[in-house]
Amino acid sequence: MSDLDPVIGIDLGTTNSVVATVRDGVPRVIPNRSGQPLTPSVVAVAKNGKPLVGSLAKRQAITNAENTVYAAKRLIGRRWGSKEVEDARRVLPYELVAGPEGNDVRVVLGGKPVSVAEISAQVLAELKADAEAWFGGPVTRAVITVPAYFNDGQRQATKDAGRIAGLEVLRIINEPTSAALAYGFGKKLEKKVVVFDLGGGTFDVSVLDIGQSVYDVIAVGGDTYLGGEDFDRRIMDWLTFNFAKENGGVDLRQDKMALQRLRDAAEKAKCELSGTPTADIHLPFLAAAGEGKAALHLTKQLTREKLEELTKDLVERCIAVTEKTLKDAGVRSSQIDEVILVGGMTRMPRVQRAVRDFFGQEPCKGVHPDEVVALGAAIQAQALAAPATPGSEVLLLDVTPQNLGIMVVGGYFQTIIPRNTTVPTNQTHLFTTVQDNQTSVRIAVLQGESDKATDNELLGEFVLAGIRPARRGEVAIEITFDISADGIVGVSARDVDTGQEQSINVTATSGLTEDELKRIIDEHLDDQLEKKQSTADLERARGRVASAVAEVEGLVPAVQKALERSRFGRDAVQKAEGVLARARLALEGKDADELARVSEALERTLQLFKGLAAAPPDGT
Amino acid sequence: MSGDRYRGHLFDPADLAEAVDLDESRRKEVLFAEASLPTWTHWQVLGLEWNAPPEAVRSAYLDKVKIFHPDRYAGKKLGSYRSRLERVFRRLTEARDVLTSETDRAPYVLATAPALEVTRLEARRLEDERRSDERRGRLARHNPLLARAGRITNLMKHGREMMGAGQFTQAANDFQLVASLDPGNTEAGPLAAAARKKAVEARVTECLDKAQAAEAMGGWQGALAAYRAALEIDPAHLRVLILASRAALELGDGNAARDFADQALKVQPRSAAAHEALGVALESVGKRSDARKALERAVEIDPRLDSAKERLKKLRWSFLG
Repeated sequence: MSDLDPVIGIDLGTTNSVVATVRDGVPRVIPNRSGQPLTPSVVAVAKNGKPLVGSLAKRQAITNAENTVYAAKRLIGRRWGSKEVEDARRVLPYELVAGPEGNDVRVVLGGKPVSVAEISAQVLAELKADAEAWFGGPVTRAVITVPAYFNDGQRQATKDAGRIAGLEVLRIINEPTSAALAYGFGKKLEKKVVVFDLGGGTFDVSVLDIGQSVYDVIAVGGDTYLGGEDFDRRIMDWLTFNFAKENGGVDLRQDKMALQRLRDAAEKAKCELSGTPTADIHLPFLAAAGEGKAALHLTKQLTREKLEELTKDLVERCIAVTEKTLKDAGVRSSQIDEVILVGGMTRMPRVQRAVRDFFGQEPCKGVHPDEVVALGAAIQAQALAAPATPGSEVLLLDVTPQNLGIMVVGGYFQTIIPRNTTVPTNQTHLFTTVQDNQTSVRIAVLQGESDKATDNELLGEFVLAGIRPARRGEVAIEITFDISADGIVGVSARDVDTGQEQSINVTATSGLTEDELKRIIDEHLDDQLEKKQSTADLERARGRVASAVAEVEGLVPAVQKALERSRFGRDAVQKAEGVLARARLALEGKDADELARVSEALERTLQLFKGLAAAPPDGT
Repeated sequence: MSGDRYRGHLFDPADLAEAVDLDESRRKEVLFAEASLPTWTHWQVLGLEWNAPPEAVRSAYLDKVKIFHPDRYAGKKLGSYRSRLERVFRRLTEARDVLTSETDRAPYVLATAPALEVTRLEARRLEDERRSDERRGRLARHNPLLARAGRITNLMKHGREMMGAGQFTQAANDFQLVASLDPGNTEAGPLAAAARKKAVEARVTECLDKAQAAEAMGGWQGALAAYRAALEIDPAHLRVLILASRAALELGDGNAARDFADQALKVQPRSAAAHEALGVALESVGKRSDARKALERAVEIDPRLDSAKERLKKLRWSFLG
């Protein structure tokens, strides 16, 4: 692995994903093999059992809703039984089941349960393959973005997905920070910037102080369950409600195919309304009306006003989160120099207006809301792969998105590292025993915003044993939290008197056990080895053809000379030229079969030439 | 240059020899910074002069993190230097946080001030205090608003002092002045009323004392004059009216005695002593029947009034006889 190996940045989105890189000092999006910058984050198993990813998967979603997984990002790293998962189960057309440990979510795809990380890994693998096709060589290292408000479990699961896809994940970075990196790239900025990122499934807002190529994140905030999908759902609910009213209570929600068509139509109408004041929704033969009656059609016009009315509270929620984050940052809205809009949802005029009203300034129009996050990830990837090269001198100072702490007596949550602390960081807190002669203490490491421990995410637990027996409150236990630059949380507990110490590196559970992860990675490695194998074969074939071409070319003068003295094989040189031309063409392509055929033809020509060149002059 | 920078610092050869991808000058820089952390102030950590402005703090921080953030060496072998870098970075961040904080900076500036600065600051603080006192005084003299406020404060203070010293009239005066200077003052009005009441009581008591002294020496003329003076101050003083009625009778002026008693009854119609005084006065002017009625009324209100009973008995007998 050298510094010259290409590195990529991936924006793994809820609805679409984008891959980018920095080439010749310029960040650029890598188009997928269909030439598109955006790849739908959709994974499916077709009716014939074939796995599909991206637009191919999206295209067949209507007819194969049960086996088409979209918005996996909303489920990644979530616990089975959590409110978010329960909500998702009600609205998603595909089936969810609990993992073997009962704590994570599996998606039923093609009849068998698949972890969410594997679903995301398929999207990542697709993007990796796109990048490899573009570079014409292997790509193994990447920076992947996640919403700033993702907790450790969600980040870890995303990292696992990268590993499964065969990528070394250099860093998981926050989407808004990434957008700011792309926004500030190549400019000498000294600015306070807010990134307002309303994507397909998540809402993020970050306040950054940019100066001297250092991107210092002051505060982040967000809602991991607020995004374009929620806007779509409001339209769908409105459509189903009106449809039921007009058609004597026909409930479209019972019909998965109808639901999928509604979803597509809602999304389309929403996007249209960003440009036009009205959108027509026309879905013929949407539902059966009962025996003998004609099928029911849906025809409805949605105005921009109506859409704004349906989604008013969603926009208000965004502004409320923004306000809270600015407060956390200790910055007034008037002190912000620039507001960057990221995510497809920020195209909605109502959203733009709300942002403008809140900040009292026109948001920045200079960035491409869909691509900017991936571009920033590519810049960070470059900075981490080759930190010394000019142009990649950016430095990201990111913060912890949520409070980190431990559970204390009474089931309460004691924060040790508060949110918005710049990493790397460490903090120490002293605790005491709560029972007489207590010799061990269980330390549960948690992340979240609630005072109640059980409402927060459990990152890991360990036991500090060998405490000197004493009356309660007499033993001091020092707990130290340590977060490294790459976001790894280490926790250690020490009995101050005895020096007894215990520590763990908190690797949040992505739901997959380490064994499971290893098995999945092995399986994928096999796939990749196969692919690599074929690449190696291809190289060998090319080598053979190239040397044969050279040999044939070398023999041409001798053969021509020999032919001058012979009656036979006067067209041999012409034929040979034809074979050579075909060989040169094949060398440029990647078709192994063609190379094999050319190789054979060359071999025959060579034999012929050798014979001719060596043949004694024709006596007569 | 670097030799000078690290003068007096001993580098552990093992640290310098560790197999990491950092050149020697960078190693020395990291080792020196890490070793100095416990003794350095936040200013020194950032390479700044004491009390450098927040903008300089921010700029120095950015310069320093470019050297000490581990990401600057991503992909390189760092060994023990990784945690050293992180330790320096954390301290840099802490220094930046404190020195740019609206609340924490000022106390830190004071706490880390060099001795000379402390004296200078203290002197300046005292000078500032003196000046502001002077300024306040000047303002009070020249500014009518401030002058009025000062006057009110003084009057209130004086009023309370007078009240304590028993100079109620003076106190009432002061409070009354405040109330007229500052109609919004809710304190002055009631205080003035209370002081006035106290002043009246004091003067009445004074007259009574004088009258009693005269009575004791049989000087009924003087006593009556004193009672009259007291009634001028407080015309509705029941006890003084009854005493005056008695004094007038002693001087043989039954009609005056009757007037005083009538007055007393107006003040307190259910006063047995007043009825008795009226009865005695009426008897002296020969209105025996009216006198009897008045005395009966007195006994009715207060059956234990023996002097009235006695007189009533006599009246009845003489009436019969």
